[in-house]
Amino acid sequence: MNAIPRRHAVRQLGLIAAGLAVACTPMRVLVSAYPQVFDDDEGLVDRVLRAFVTAVVPGAPADDPNLVRAHTDPAYPFAQYAAFFAADLSRRAARRFDGRAFERLEPRERTAVIAEGLAADATTRKLYNGAVVLAQIAFYAGIYDPKKGCPAIGFEGGNHWHPRSDITHSNPERFLSHARTADGNYA
Amino acid sequence: MRTVHTDVLIVGSGFGAAAPALRLAEAGAKVVMVEKGPRVQTADFRQTSDPQYLLKYIKGAPGDHLSLTYAEALGGGSGFYEMVSLRAPSLVFDQVDAQGRRLWPRGLDRRALDPYYDVAERMLHVSQIALDDVPKTGLVFAQLMKNLGYSVDRARYAVRGCQGSGFCVTGCVYGAKQSLFLNYLPQAVAAGAHIETDLEAVSIASLPGAHRGHARRLSDLPFRYEVLCRRGTGERDVVRFIARVVVLGGGTVGSARLLGRSRAKLPLLSEHVGRNIAYNGSVKVAGLLPDSFPDADMFTGRSHPGMISYEFLESHGITVHGVKALPLMLVSAARLRLEGDGREPAWWGEPNVELMRQMRRRMIVLAAFGLTPPGATLDVSEAGDGRVSLPLSSDLERYHGETKGLLESILVRNDCRLVRTEFLDKSLAPEEGVHFSTAHQVGSCRMADAQAAGVVDVNGEVFGCPGLYVSDGACIPSSLAVNTSLTILANAERIAAGMLDRYDLRPAAAA
Repeated sequence: MNAIPRRHAVRQLGLIAAGLAVACTPMRVLVSAYPQVFDDDEGLVDRVLRAFVTAVVPGAPADDPNLVRAHTDPAYPFAQYAAFFAADLSRRAARRFDGRAFERLEPRERTAVIAEGLAADATTRKLYNGAVVLAQIAFYAGIYDPKKGCPAIGFEGGNHWHPRSDITHSNPERFLSHARTADGNYA
Repeated sequence: MRTVHTDVLIVGSGFGAAAPALRLAEAGAKVVMVEKGPRVQTADFRQTSDPQYLLKYIKGAPGDHLSLTYAEALGGGSGFYEMVSLRAPSLVFDQVDAQGRRLWPRGLDRRALDPYYDVAERMLHVSQIALDDVPKTGLVFAQLMKNLGYSVDRARYAVRGCQGSGFCVTGCVYGAKQSLFLNYLPQAVAAGAHIETDLEAVSIASLPGAHRGHARRLSDLPFRYEVLCRRGTGERDVVRFIARVVVLGGGTVGSARLLGRSRAKLPLLSEHVGRNIAYNGSVKVAGLLPDSFPDADMFTGRSHPGMISYEFLESHGITVHGVKALPLMLVSAARLRLEGDGREPAWWGEPNVELMRQMRRRMIVLAAFGLTPPGATLDVSEAGDGRVSLPLSSDLERYHGETKGLLESILVRNDCRLVRTEFLDKSLAPEEGVHFSTAHQVGSCRMADAQAAGVVDVNGEVFGCPGLYVSDGACIPSSLAVNTSLTILANAERIAAGMLDRYDLRPAAAA
């Protein structure tokens, strides 16, 4: 069996890597196969991510300082993909809507771009899926502001005292069915 | 490396560890307890949805068709549980395996455990919730059952002076929940036990002569085990404990992980370590209440909504209860989609926002705990990460389908609209097929009548390893269909009482 010359092997590996870079999201991230501006311009990434979150959670206040914090918070693994993700949203938006920027699209257009990412290859789908769920978690749970919570769903965050009348209904007997035990423990 | 000699080393500080620590210390034994997690007390808790806060204490073992949640902190899960404290029904102890063999050891049943349940309930101030304290969600659940002629019971809790803040699962900031660092652990310290936190037991080795020495008195026994522990913070120094008796109480994941890592140094260890995990087959469904119902409330009142139904225990092997969830727990656990809402996207965007606006007052979640067989296995990587796998048998799929169907029928027959849920894995992607998630895992080092069927005997002593005990959920051999903490604690009290007797130690009252 002929040994493969080292130079040839390196070239083969390069071709494989290039092919993967086209097909596979992590490889594109690894080789930084997205525009440099998304690494250099934090403001751009912030604008794109805000447009993303307000499409995922319509009605979320676009100027909320914590709106996209979870997506760039180093505490969460998504942060390392944030710039790539913003670039991918922009690339899909430009291709689908005549070169327009994602953050300038109408909500239904942004929704279409996100849906496209969620229907893409498995790795891209995972990235978009994680971004959507992270947006929902951060917004609905109010993870950065326990005093505020999420007014949109009536979640007050932590440490709100409630009178008993808030906790239970009056005349609770009316709700009860027959019990099977004397004390809550089944024999 | 520091070396510490002790009569008894207790690994872990949760429900399975606290009772032996207290009872042995009270009886005069020199007791050291090591806990992998941080020292916590009431003042450390926060009412927050910050995942970073929770991830300090709450850990997970993901896996195929099953994922486990557990706590690593002083007091184990007792700081973060929903404080539901129910005795396992008698029929739990009659479960058999596929060959018709009883899962629980001979002579161990509800009647045998009842005296220890009594002790555990006294220690944790367990009582049935007063009707006036039942949260709205519990009352709405009761109404759902009542409308169909089904029974409901008020559940029992380990709490004194509950404020109903709804943040039980992030740790009770009021000190109302009877976590173990409020009772067992300080009493153990007062009796002379020494507790070290941030110290993980990484290996156990039997010392020469470990299998000799049938002396009755603990102090006459030889030192039989060497346990190496590694500090989790700071210098990460290693501490070497030399003990006459070692009690593993680090939980179903922790105890199996430690024994599994130590297999080479415990040559007689059973092959069952890490196998036979039971998980209370938890099935959940959700719906929106019709206008004819009063509001529920996901966020206010204790985390567990106060009611349980035993209606289907004898017929289906399940109990049913309502579920309350903070937004963090709900949204990170599942994608939600209102059935019949044909709009796309279904689980995010406008349809999801509309659904979430109804979450607090109009959403009702039902859950069943079932007597699913002990079929899961825990594998631990070199780095110590656990991964669990559950073979999905046709029986298990049928259980899941029928239980889900029963719960949904309760909602539908009350004119609720169903909310479809897709549960998420660790990467936040939907789980494929049937998936169970639980914090009620037991059995990874189960009790059995013989080594061929389990890891420890009815006394909690590891087969082939005299003086090495497992006293936590790991030794509980079956699903319970109710929350597991009280049974784990009662069984640990029973094992501790057996040790006092075996080593001629006098219990505190008699001492």
